[in-house]
Amino acid sequence: MPDTRIKEDFLGFGLGLRTDHFEHILQHQPDIDWFEVLSENYLVAGGKPRYYLEAIAEQYPVVMHGVSMSIGSTDPLDMDYLKALKTLSNDIQPKWISDHICWTSIHGINSHDLLPLPYTEETVNHVAERVRIVQDFLGRRMLLENVSSYLSYQDSTMDEWDFLSQVAESADCLILLDINNIYVSARNHHFNPLDYLKKIDPRRVQQFHLAGHSDFGDYVIDTHDHDVPPSVWTLYQAALERFGPVSTMIERDANIPEFPALYQELLEAKHIAELTLPENAELARSSFGTRSLDGLNKQISTHYVSQQPVRAKQ
Amino acid sequence: MSRLVEIQQQFMQYLLSDAADTQHGQIQSIMKANVSEQAGISANDRLQIYSNAYRIRLKETIETDHQLLGVYLGDHLFDKMAADYTRQYPSSNKSLRQFCDDLPNFLQQDDFFKQHPIIADLARFERRLLNAFDAADSPRTSFSDLQAISPEFWPNCCLRFHPSVQIFTCNSNAVEAWQALKVDATPPEPDYQSQRAWLLWRGESRLTEFASLTAAQHALLLGFIQGNNFADQCEQMLEWHNEQSAPLMVLQTLQAWFQQGLIRAVVSN
Repeated sequence: MPDTRIKEDFLGFGLGLRTDHFEHILQHQPDIDWFEVLSENYLVAGGKPRYYLEAIAEQYPVVMHGVSMSIGSTDPLDMDYLKALKTLSNDIQPKWISDHICWTSIHGINSHDLLPLPYTEETVNHVAERVRIVQDFLGRRMLLENVSSYLSYQDSTMDEWDFLSQVAESADCLILLDINNIYVSARNHHFNPLDYLKKIDPRRVQQFHLAGHSDFGDYVIDTHDHDVPPSVWTLYQAALERFGPVSTMIERDANIPEFPALYQELLEAKHIAELTLPENAELARSSFGTRSLDGLNKQISTHYVSQQPVRAKQ
Repeated sequence: MSRLVEIQQQFMQYLLSDAADTQHGQIQSIMKANVSEQAGISANDRLQIYSNAYRIRLKETIETDHQLLGVYLGDHLFDKMAADYTRQYPSSNKSLRQFCDDLPNFLQQDDFFKQHPIIADLARFERRLLNAFDAADSPRTSFSDLQAISPEFWPNCCLRFHPSVQIFTCNSNAVEAWQALKVDATPPEPDYQSQRAWLLWRGESRLTEFASLTAAQHALLLGFIQGNNFADQCEQMLEWHNEQSAPLMVLQTLQAWFQQGLIRAVVSN
């Protein structure tokens, strides 16, 4: 059967690079497969952030993840920002570059938030055109990540998963599927998260994000300040069943624990992947946890993993 | 105008507006009309999540960048400053790193905060520390590089400084207050009796450092930064030293600057 994948290599299991962990990483050189770096944090001239980033990028594969491209904005694309992104990319040679399918600024004012777009044909065309320009400028495909949202627009004429799929198809870009964001939006908008997974083209899914959130009962907020909860692990298992092995990382932006705690949480992700996709050759290439797995696997719980597939494969 | 433009404009207007805005109700109604009512929580509450997140994120940025200014002000005044600054200076940068760049100006011009100039000075000092923290890297040169130049060329030598080097001047004891707050001590009463000058830089170990400057050291550093040569600066030092001691003072100060990693290059014309 021909390999119809569009996506690139499977990197294994990674973590978001956070300043709190710089020293630990350089000192202990943990066997994390890769790190995701927040692009905007390193668009500075020099100093500690750049020093640690460059030292870590020399030892680990890295990917760049941005929050300010504002790909859905009706402002012109910020070419100075894209140039800075390209310069950083030349410096640290990331495996790929991602941002969010949202808008953040208009008339030059930045909300510093990932604001939702109306899901319409007009928006599909607008965003896809801008993604094509960015990809031409960067000379590579970019990844678009689904965001958590708390409102829906009256104007929307399609579901979020159709919107994301149409933009990715039209722009020929890749997808960073945030499993937690799907869960959060599903709770806030009352859809079945498995319907979301079912509609996304597996050939375009390059990366998964896992994270925690704050559950207020009637609504859920994407806060990245908790451990990955059971509900997100379950959805992760369903995503693995649908998409196979996909480069996976855990995002933690607040209430950040010590590095070993995140390492342990990432082991849980690998363990779930191994149980869901037994004897998978790509998964076997991940060296994460091999140094410490023997000692640690006794502590890994498996109660988040369903014995039955979470959903039937398409 | 396309609907996408319209929605984005109305959403941003909604985020920027708050209860202090006389048109807030109208702006909120316009934006609410774009939002679907869904089960669970109302359209208003859904919008409020974004409005809260906008203000919390920017306030947290001020807290992070201006930690000791926050301690100096206390919760009540800090909240007032954060709300007023966020209202008057919406972010126009891609990174939150620059969001507070105008905070010192705001504090200097605001009718309430300008009554206590030390507050703007504290903010300005903390911005300088940040600038030193992530200024560009560059190699540093040592005193032996100057010694390698034949002494007859020294009078024409100029210096190039590490990009992190900055001078901070103020008419208050803001830095003394900052130092007290840093060690959880009570800051001294504001004192506006004399001008003070401080040198800030990032050392070889990437730590941000600062040191007070005497009037002569300040003039010496400023002159070299402005491109004056060794001879010009020795002459300028005659204001504080005699003809014998001026070159010695310059040389000793330079030696310290080399050791501190302040100098990027010696340029001999």
